[in-house]
Amino acid sequence: MSVEVEVNETDLAEMVEQVWESYLDPEGVSPLIQTYDENQPSEVHSSVSITGSWSGHVVFASSRVAAQRAAAAFLAMEAEEVSEEDISDTLGELANIVGGNVKAMLPSGAQLSLPQVMLAPETSTRYPNATRISGVYGIWEGEPVSISMWHSSADNKEEKGE
Amino acid sequence: MKILIADDSRVMRQIVVRTLRQAGFGDHDLIEAADGQEALDKAIAENPDVVISDWNMPHLTGIEVLRQLRSAGNNVKFGFVTSESTPEMKTAAESSGAAFFIVKPFTAERFDEVFAPILG
Repeated sequence: MSVEVEVNETDLAEMVEQVWESYLDPEGVSPLIQTYDENQPSEVHSSVSITGSWSGHVVFASSRVAAQRAAAAFLAMEAEEVSEEDISDTLGELANIVGGNVKAMLPSGAQLSLPQVMLAPETSTRYPNATRISGVYGIWEGEPVSISMWHSSADNKEEKGE
Repeated sequence: MKILIADDSRVMRQIVVRTLRQAGFGDHDLIEAADGQEALDKAIAENPDVVISDWNMPHLTGIEVLRQLRSAGNNVKFGFVTSESTPEMKTAAESSGAAFFIVKPFTAERFDEVFAPILG
């Protein structure tokens, strides 16, 4: 038996908005503008997995330029100074923050994995037995960014770990 | 005052440092730990006034670090900054003696609210 997902698109959009307000656009001048285009392209992506009371993945995907800008904003650097490692760490942290917020809304007994980062398009990663159930798709300063949730159909019934 | 920032994410440690500066606490002595074991070691060796810790870290989780410190009689002011906040975690933090619980993403205003009474 699987648990009904309790995190909808509005919740996800709110979490994403908080990330922008806190770190990526504290001045409120360049928000993520939603396009609702779930097929927009990406060049890099990161994900965290959730297992337990609900199983699935939270995926952050964007263009490389957007990831570079995010790293510059996170690290208070100029975009040109950002290294590959900065981009990877930032992508991992973005998936971790949204994933942690998603987990907080799920029934207790869910575990969050450490983040995984791929400097390759989102379509290069497959999530076996999982379906994308919601997402926030948008443009940030002209660059594509998306955050989506995938639900695994093979929900396990692991006992809560904590 | 000396503040120990424990997080396995280098980016998040940077963000915590920057947010402390933005909230006006940049003049304090800021030191860092990259995992739970290092956090425990530095909390003992460096004798910080405050520990700002992530929850989920390799080797030891933040709550394990706090529990080990308390069971060794160390009463350093210790709190969490984490993206995962569940009622169970908050209860565990409080009952182990945590002084604060900050949820990521956080703002400089939130840091000010939490740290002004602690750091002055």
